[in-house]
Amino acid sequence: MSFDSLIDRLTDDLTPVRRRRPWVDMLTVAAIALAELALLFALGFAHISLHRMMTEPTLWWRLASLGLISLLSGALAIRSFDPAYSPKGGLRWLALIVVICLTFGLLMGGLPGGLASIAVRLDWTSGVECAYKMALLSVPPLIGLALLGRRGAPTDLRRTPLLIGLAAAAWGAFAFVFACPFTDPLYIAVWYSVGCGIVVVLARLILPRIARW
Amino acid sequence: MADDHWRTLMMAAQAGDTPAYRRLLVEVGSWLQGYYSRRLPSGMVDDAAQEALMTLHAKRHTYDPSKPFGPWLAAIARYKWIDRLRAMRAAPTEELCEELAVRDCGEAVQSARSLEALLERLKPAQANAIRLVKIEGLSIKEAADNLGQTISLVKVNIHRGLRQLGEFAQEEDHEF
Repeated sequence: MSFDSLIDRLTDDLTPVRRRRPWVDMLTVAAIALAELALLFALGFAHISLHRMMTEPTLWWRLASLGLISLLSGALAIRSFDPAYSPKGGLRWLALIVVICLTFGLLMGGLPGGLASIAVRLDWTSGVECAYKMALLSVPPLIGLALLGRRGAPTDLRRTPLLIGLAAAAWGAFAFVFACPFTDPLYIAVWYSVGCGIVVVLARLILPRIARW
Repeated sequence: MADDHWRTLMMAAQAGDTPAYRRLLVEVGSWLQGYYSRRLPSGMVDDAAQEALMTLHAKRHTYDPSKPFGPWLAAIARYKWIDRLRAMRAAPTEELCEELAVRDCGEAVQSARSLEALLERLKPAQANAIRLVKIEGLSIKEAADNLGQTISLVKVNIHRGLRQLGEFAQEEDHEF
């Protein structure tokens, strides 16, 4: 096709467009995430002794850390849907925040005391179940962010999927906190990291194929 | 790049102004041809520029008029260029007949390779600033946005990098 005929075709096809607005994307994802949380509470998913757990410092550590990571990575992911924005620097800061949150939890009493005690504290059968549930809970925000990413124009198809995966995984873990009966920081640090890690790796592997434009 | 002019045209195009859009496509189309002619074999330039224009059309809603147009366009052009390179790597190559008559580009290729070798000896920040401004033709402001550096740092990097390149080139002359 010649240049002139392409320009004719594109001009004929021109219609007014509704500009992409990042804050609308953020509200959309927030609405999906909050709807998921409300549904979980409505279905009685919350742990029966949640009111007692409110006094546990690890509950607030989990909620604050996961909420912060989810919010920041979601905002960065949405910003990276703009082709001119590179999420490289933001991702570096985010990695630092994740490390600080994990270190904080381990200092709260999560440092292992010996191999035998680690095996008992990690309780791998419950841990695998927790990781699986967290991964399932991260699916709605993951789909929401992936669809918004397709509508946008992310140019860094390595880092944007990582951010989408991290935001969705942290939200899945945040929602799971209300149903999780465990309070040991070591258990939480290990199995929450496994659950989130699985989602991030899957997002990194799958999303670049979907988000390509 | 005539940033403000293109930004105005793009804003009008987003609102459905056909003449403004046509003008934008014509001007951007010729910029894209220049952009790809410095990066791709001549036979691929038109295809790449047309593909980038179609992408601009499909993604025009992602342009935010409160930001400069140049980095947005350059990001799309670069993304499509990398796509082309990936496709070229994946595509099977055919051996060319030795008697095929082609223009001898040996000298140009040689100087491009020498320049690239010299650039690799610079600090990455200096080499990237020189590549974007002096080779790819971006403005200092666009390069600063692209590299995440301040305008004055980009200028300093270019200045120091070029001085260093001169010294490297002199060293090589002495070696020969």
